Amino acid sequence: MEKFLDFIVRAGSLDRRYIFVVIALVVMLPLFFPLNLPIRPTVSSQTIYNTVEKLESGDKALVSFEYGPSTKPEIHPMAVALLRHLFEKDVKVYITCLWPDGQFMAMEAIQQVAVNQYHKVYGEDYVLLGFRPGNEAVIKGLVSNFRKVYTVDSQGNFLDDIPMMNGINQVADFDYLFSASAGYPGTVEWVQYAADPTGVIMGTGTTSIQVNEVMPYVQSGQIKGILGGMPGAAEYEKLIGQAGIGTSGMDAQSVAHIVIVGFIIFGNISFFVERRRSKKY
Amino acid sequence: MNGSEIFGAWVAVFLTLGIFSYLYKDNPFYKIAEHVFVGISAGYWMSMFFWTQIQPNLFGRLWPVPEGAISGFFMRTWYGIYNLFGGILPSVFPDGGIDKGHGTHPHFIYIIPFVLGVMMLLSVVSKWSWFARLGIAYTVGMAAGLRAYAFLNSNVLGQLKGSAVSFVGLDWFSLTDASIINNIIILIGTITGLLYFYFSKEHKGNFGKVTRVGIYFLMISFGASFGFAVMGRISLLIGRFTDLISYGGPTYNYASLWVLLLMIVLLAVWTFKGDKKVAS
Repeated sequence: MEKFLDFIVRAGSLDRRYIFVVIALVVMLPLFFPLNLPIRPTVSSQTIYNTVEKLESGDKALVSFEYGPSTKPEIHPMAVALLRHLFEKDVKVYITCLWPDGQFMAMEAIQQVAVNQYHKVYGEDYVLLGFRPGNEAVIKGLVSNFRKVYTVDSQGNFLDDIPMMNGINQVADFDYLFSASAGYPGTVEWVQYAADPTGVIMGTGTTSIQVNEVMPYVQSGQIKGILGGMPGAAEYEKLIGQAGIGTSGMDAQSVAHIVIVGFIIFGNISFFVERRRSKKY
Repeated sequence: MNGSEIFGAWVAVFLTLGIFSYLYKDNPFYKIAEHVFVGISAGYWMSMFFWTQIQPNLFGRLWPVPEGAISGFFMRTWYGIYNLFGGILPSVFPDGGIDKGHGTHPHFIYIIPFVLGVMMLLSVVSKWSWFARLGIAYTVGMAAGLRAYAFLNSNVLGQLKGSAVSFVGLDWFSLTDASIINNIIILIGTITGLLYFYFSKEHKGNFGKVTRVGIYFLMISFGASFGFAVMGRISLLIGRFTDLISYGGPTYNYASLWVLLLMIVLLAVWTFKGDKKVAS
């Protein structure tokens, strides 16, 4: 028994680089050899799906891209899945970006979904308005007068020349609002300055770390549903029946979580054994 | 796959593995990746801000393309200044004015943000750095005013409404929907959590017991935050590995494998040389 406890204490002070190697292996192996673990949609993901399902052909959805390459693995899969759902429903999509990198993320998603998959027409089915600096001031501006913030789209076309911009003068003219957000400015600002004052139904997709911050707004009904990180994306892909990057990453995610929980339990046991010994002597 | 995409993949692999190499220890690859990231980010953001806001929305409003010929002394002088700028930076100030859909008459009110912006830039000149305070004061005042209402409406009133739970007409227990048990938990969590931050009374006796319950709720919340943080970091790792795997294929000339191999060899040499230096 004493030898076993010695081993636990020694293992507890293991060089952290060994732990990095183990995590790298458990993340990488399922990417090569998928386990196809089941994915069950949560209530919050189902709520977003149900809300989008209720939209009708020709309805207008404002989708805001507030993330960049650093959070792409978490947010991009859900943005792609949501666009697929919106285009499947023939909803008109208006894209804004509060982050400069968001514009390029949006361009990538549009190329993949609107152009290659659904063959949608720019200016009639979707429009990329692009990035505007100013954080919440931009949202506030969009709520009062859309054309004060955007006079041209991301390609330099005048908004008045874009057919689907007819009748769009403020945020209240949209039927649905979705923020794909990785931080500030993002979901919270859209709730405070757009969704709450106008009453437009809003959903969001956030990084995992933001879920705790945003969840109170979901609980209170200020946001209708949240997609949380890569699991949220995988759930949405499952709901729309189109597997993507989110689904393929979930095996690695699940295995890595089990190993990390194991490390935490082991580390705690080692800590308590060591503490008991130091008290003893 | 064209050459630039393959080159981009090699750069991406080098930078990713360069950052990962920090897990071994601080080294030149990490330093290169870090400095490249900081430099490019700053340049990229500055460029984006200028071409999406300052040029089209500020200069575009100050000097829009006028309707017909420019007449009057003041307007000729105003567009004379523009032409002066255009002589220095023709790509920013093209001939005849900036056409970004802001009408045909200059919006002179935008001189105020222009001047405030210039004042903020003066912070780099120590003699005139006090000018920057005016710009900062405006920004702080505007942001405070803008946020006050939004916070009151969404975070105070909205959350108060969300915490005002009902106990009527609900099931006793539900994992997913509102239920009496879930609403009791919300009520207790909200009240005890708020009481924990009430510092005008010492946390002793019955009051101390109640605030201790509040701490437990907060600890559960922190635990959930930690769990989500781990989940997020693993997702990002999966994202990088997915890219590295795809860049390790024949389409990209096995970029990941070659760069990894080269990096390991060079790091081994660098470590060995460093050890020898320390030993001598």
